[in-house]
Amino acid sequence: MRRTRTGWLLLAPSMIILFVVGIVPFIYVLYVGFFDWNLFSASREMTFNGVNNYRQLVFDPLFLDAIWVTIRFTFFAVVSQLIIGFFLAQLLLRDFPGKSFFRTIHTVPLMIAPIAIGAIWRLLTIPGFGPIPYLLDRWFDFEFNIGNNATQAFLAIVIMDIWHWTPFVTLTMLAGLSALPAEPREAAQVDGANSWQIFRFITLPQMQPVVLTVLFIRIMDGLRTVDEINMLTNGGGPGTSTRTIGIHIFRVVFPQTDYGYGSAMSLLTLYLTIVACWFLFVSLTAVRKR
Amino acid sequence: MSDQDSIHHPVEHEVEDDRPHLLPIYTNMFDRVFISVVIMVAIHLFWLRFLEVYLSLYVATIISLVVGYIIIRRG
Amino acid sequence: MKINTRKVLSYAFTYVVWIIVTIVTILPVYWMFVISARSRVELFNAPNLIISSFYTQNYTNVIYDRTFQSYMMNSVIVSTGNAVLVTALALLATYALSRYDLVGKDNIFFTTLTQRMAPPAAFLLPLFLLYTQVFAFGEGRARWDLYDTQIGLILLYCVFNLPFAIWLLKGIIDGIPVELDEAAYVDGATTSMVIRRIILPLAAPGLAVTLILSWVFAWNEYLLAATLTNFNARTITTGLAEFVTVTGTNWGEMAAVAMLTLVPSLIVVAFAQRYLVAGLTFGAVKN
Repeated sequence: MRRTRTGWLLLAPSMIILFVVGIVPFIYVLYVGFFDWNLFSASREMTFNGVNNYRQLVFDPLFLDAIWVTIRFTFFAVVSQLIIGFFLAQLLLRDFPGKSFFRTIHTVPLMIAPIAIGAIWRLLTIPGFGPIPYLLDRWFDFEFNIGNNATQAFLAIVIMDIWHWTPFVTLTMLAGLSALPAEPREAAQVDGANSWQIFRFITLPQMQPVVLTVLFIRIMDGLRTVDEINMLTNGGGPGTSTRTIGIHIFRVVFPQTDYGYGSAMSLLTLYLTIVACWFLFVSLTAVRKR
Repeated sequence: MSDQDSIHHPVEHEVEDDRPHLLPIYTNMFDRVFISVVIMVAIHLFWLRFLEVYLSLYVATIISLVVGYIIIRRG
Repeated sequence: MKINTRKVLSYAFTYVVWIIVTIVTILPVYWMFVISARSRVELFNAPNLIISSFYTQNYTNVIYDRTFQSYMMNSVIVSTGNAVLVTALALLATYALSRYDLVGKDNIFFTTLTQRMAPPAAFLLPLFLLYTQVFAFGEGRARWDLYDTQIGLILLYCVFNLPFAIWLLKGIIDGIPVELDEAAYVDGATTSMVIRRIILPLAAPGLAVTLILSWVFAWNEYLLAATLTNFNARTITTGLAEFVTVTGTNWGEMAAVAMLTLVPSLIVVAFAQRYLVAGLTFGAVKN
């Protein structure tokens, strides 16, 4: 290993930028979170109020509801993606003509801007000229309107997320599956195991690190989804049925200029994701004992 | 570098394993401080939501400091 | 004979599933293209997928619009500036993290991972306060702050792109044998020579992937751009969202803007497809 001073010097520019735009803001809101500070209230000064912001926060029904929506959304979306993605990856494992074509098309949603995804699905589901409500009405006589039906709106954002992120799960699973050694599977086949047993006792344990990594990445992504949902349901409507925590901060808390309260909420949101991020970090790293 | 075939670990997580530990995983100093801060915040939030009507928040602070100390020293 | 039938059936099953998946993937995007090629009157007929006459006015209206042009320019400048900055800084940082025995290295990785995965919504208020209250100099008309500037956005996008680039490049630079560096140092090379002559050429494909993916992430970002810009530095994604908030949305033009936003992404899919998995899993899974 070479002189560490040079190493720190090379690292310095990145660390300074990340510190200034990534950490300083949070030190600042950690401070602001203990104050009552509203630019448009009678007194525009910061007044210290201890943990009042947090006390208000844990009883705030809108905030708790937004967290609950986020968790439900993430749960349904991620579980469906894992199942569908694993299934599709199994089908791609074998060589067949046209495989690379299918795979390339499958990748398309991954790189589209989330806000454009929201626009695409809005055009599909908008009552009036969207094909989905039109066809459902025509074929099944079923009224589909994400503008006033909370359950359907929630369903729509979950389906949109599945459409958006299943390719990621498929491709990652495929890469993991193709890297697996074939010997244990073949040995089990010789011993007369059926395909379910092979999947349950050999493939799944071997795939565990990949599945965990994908799972945690998807959970974190699900918790931070804002753009698509904001665009599709026009800010979390109808009511608060699709208002995730991100949209709540963006559409409700941020415009209110109640800086102390908003700071506390931002910090708490970050806290929740840091805890989730810890699991991702553990699954991404190799342990080295000292 | 890694014993798993299906995944690469670009980063290593250096831990101390020569000490008795309470936590179910091997940790280093940074991990223990991190875990105790996370637990400290969790205790405070829980207290604010459910227990503050009965007991002052300072009790939560004392409890979490004790828990944090145990985790950092023995974890 | 029996085995053969089973094989044919299983191939047929695979094809049927994948054709359905392909249609489901492509149809929504195609539908948006159809909308962008229709006039306002045509929209409210029964939905059909055939473009009888291409109505170009949606596109021309948008492209000749001054506001839209400036949004587009901002997007290009911000993404390019950010991608270049991020790749250059990440190369230096990752070289240090890969080759030097720095104390607390894994804590740096944990912090950067958190920054990459943290919800942008949590950054809105902190960064807004930082940009308007802390990094603000002067008063009145001479006042200068980072709010609503391209530099501000370029720095801002480093929060999630720099960690991403560091994690992705770590695996790539680790893959370059240390012996090459050692040999060069023995011959009297300086650190900067080693990075320029050995690491740069060998890591070039990885750097290109990092550059491209960072560019796309910066291009696609909406939330931070929407709250931390006002007029001067607005990007194309915020422009897209503005179409909806205005009363009486012009769906055709909105679809046209959305189509223009996703063209760069589609080009990326064509070129960087093979590296996408490694990129999105922080180098943990490779194909």
